[in-house]
Amino acid sequence: MLAPPEAPAPGPVAPRRRERRRLLVAVAAAFVVLAPLAWLWQASLLPDTYSVTDMGTVDDGRGGGGHAGHGVAAGGRGVDSLTEPSTAPADVRVELVARAETFRLASGEEVTGYTLNGTSPGPAIHAELGQLVEVRLVNESVRDGATLHWHGVDVPNADDGVAGVTQDAVPVGGSFTYRFRADQAGTFWYHAHQVSHVQVQRGFLGALVVTPPGGVGATDALALVHLYGGMRTVNGRSGETRVDAAPGERVRVRVVNTDNAPMSAWVPGAMFRMLAVDGTEVHEPGEVRDVAVEVTGGARADLEVVAPARIELGGASVLVGEQAAVSSGPPAPRPVGTLDLLTYGTPAPLGFDPATATRSFDYVIGRSPGFLDGVPGMWWTINGHMYPDVPMFMVAEGDVVRMRLENRSGEGHPMHLHGHHAVVLSRDGVPATGSPWWIDSLEVGDGETYEIAFVADNPGIWIDHCHNLPHAVEGLVAHLMYEGVTTPYRLGGPNTPE
Amino acid sequence: MKAVYRVLAYLIALEVVIQAAAIAYAIAGLGTWIQEGGVLDAAAMESETTEFTGVAGFMIHGINGQMVVPLIALLLLICSFFARVPGGVLWAVLVLVTVVVQVLLGIFGHGTPLLGLIHGAVAFVLFAFAVVAARKAEAVLGGLERTSARGTAGVA
Repeated sequence: MLAPPEAPAPGPVAPRRRERRRLLVAVAAAFVVLAPLAWLWQASLLPDTYSVTDMGTVDDGRGGGGHAGHGVAAGGRGVDSLTEPSTAPADVRVELVARAETFRLASGEEVTGYTLNGTSPGPAIHAELGQLVEVRLVNESVRDGATLHWHGVDVPNADDGVAGVTQDAVPVGGSFTYRFRADQAGTFWYHAHQVSHVQVQRGFLGALVVTPPGGVGATDALALVHLYGGMRTVNGRSGETRVDAAPGERVRVRVVNTDNAPMSAWVPGAMFRMLAVDGTEVHEPGEVRDVAVEVTGGARADLEVVAPARIELGGASVLVGEQAAVSSGPPAPRPVGTLDLLTYGTPAPLGFDPATATRSFDYVIGRSPGFLDGVPGMWWTINGHMYPDVPMFMVAEGDVVRMRLENRSGEGHPMHLHGHHAVVLSRDGVPATGSPWWIDSLEVGDGETYEIAFVADNPGIWIDHCHNLPHAVEGLVAHLMYEGVTTPYRLGGPNTPE
Repeated sequence: MKAVYRVLAYLIALEVVIQAAAIAYAIAGLGTWIQEGGVLDAAAMESETTEFTGVAGFMIHGINGQMVVPLIALLLLICSFFARVPGGVLWAVLVLVTVVVQVLLGIFGHGTPLLGLIHGAVAFVLFAFAVVAARKAEAVLGGLERTSARGTAGVA
């Protein structure tokens, strides 16, 4: 500290004492500023490992609960026991070998990331409705460990692939076998759920297509969209992807968005239909034109076009049938309008009555400054609290559940509930009047409120998180918890699901 | 401590300059990338693998703005308690409050573009506050240096 060499002596009061008093005041002021910060920092630190069942606040969906979650599910069924009941040999058997490596995309660009059986995207897995699927994941060289999550498939809980919740991450040299019945025809995908914000982005993913016996009655094409280094690809190919089809032929194009936020698909100058959303058929989908389809992160949209046609995906496109004239020139811009699934298609029975809900939850997304495991920042909050103080939505098998998803956070979030399909009841208070809109990945825009409902028919511990995967790292993850279910696995240590 | 106060205050001002330069670099790089065929939509924006000249500008702006600048502002406030710069605590508080406002504007500007407009303008307010704070310390330091020089002369 700089001080004059000869301090002026202003009278009899000892300057030393005044000096000391000033120093004390300064120390006290510094303490007043720093102590709360230090306390908040310390309180935010997560244990090295912890169980998802000990985390957060119990919400029983009946206006009760609110206490800490310790020992909620003691002495119940372990997630390990929630497996596919059939021991019959699988109809579809696949082995996927995961590697960290530099590889070439189908269109030739070099990428450093993750491959499955030497390619990214990994091989598309095809199954027929009702078939038993068995996939053995072998981790050859992914140092952080690996898992496979079956996005949109309501698999048994033990096969959900969430590191630290339903299994341990598979270390290098290890393997894990997933078994489930393909009991819903539709478009799905698989991806890592261990350090997923890095692994998925860098290519640890692939498509899973379940078709009805005999096919879909049209030419069936896949358009799995992924950004490698900011470059949009379709089935691992940049630029244009061609689908063979005779003029007049109907073609179903299964668009899968494997990225973190919404993308758009549009069909310039032609009619099209949106046949399915997130693996569920739309009831009586009408023909539309000059609108874009928004496909949020993790979501799927099956579009039907009549050849020849072109589907623009924003920097990449799918050419259906002969396109001599159409393929030259700049791509048509995205139409201004977006297809609104709240009113698309016609109503059909849901199979359950949301009015008889036995549980009702709020999932309000906000943002606030604070510490997340000791790191200061602006972090996401759920119902006003920051991770790990997030809700544990308690249900029992057979419950009809309503959930209000409200976003007050300043950014959009693609919300993804594992193990269940939910139906959209309303958006911003406006009831859904079109086809039942079943989702597993729902874009909740900033300022929007959705009400959804589902039947709790798949026991387990299911995370319910933002599929903008870095957002999940930033605390936007809660879980749905069935009464009496426990997990032997722990988060932290080698298990970092997000 | 007065010298530390001055350095921290000038660092804040320098950070404002870095922030402006970084974001302009990023926007320029983004424009070039789009001109060259890059496509920006929500998915590309949220993809952490998107690469172009200038993309580092976004990262610098984010990390600096949310972590480094608030930390320096906090250190400035702590320092002000000990530095005994006339008005030093007040200016340090003003700087810290402006930084907090600035971080909030920056983050919530993603959803409300008008806040971005204010964010850009408030940057100049922060710059001014930081410079004023630094100059306050400088005034005292200048006085001290003169006193010190006279004192030394006296001893000699």
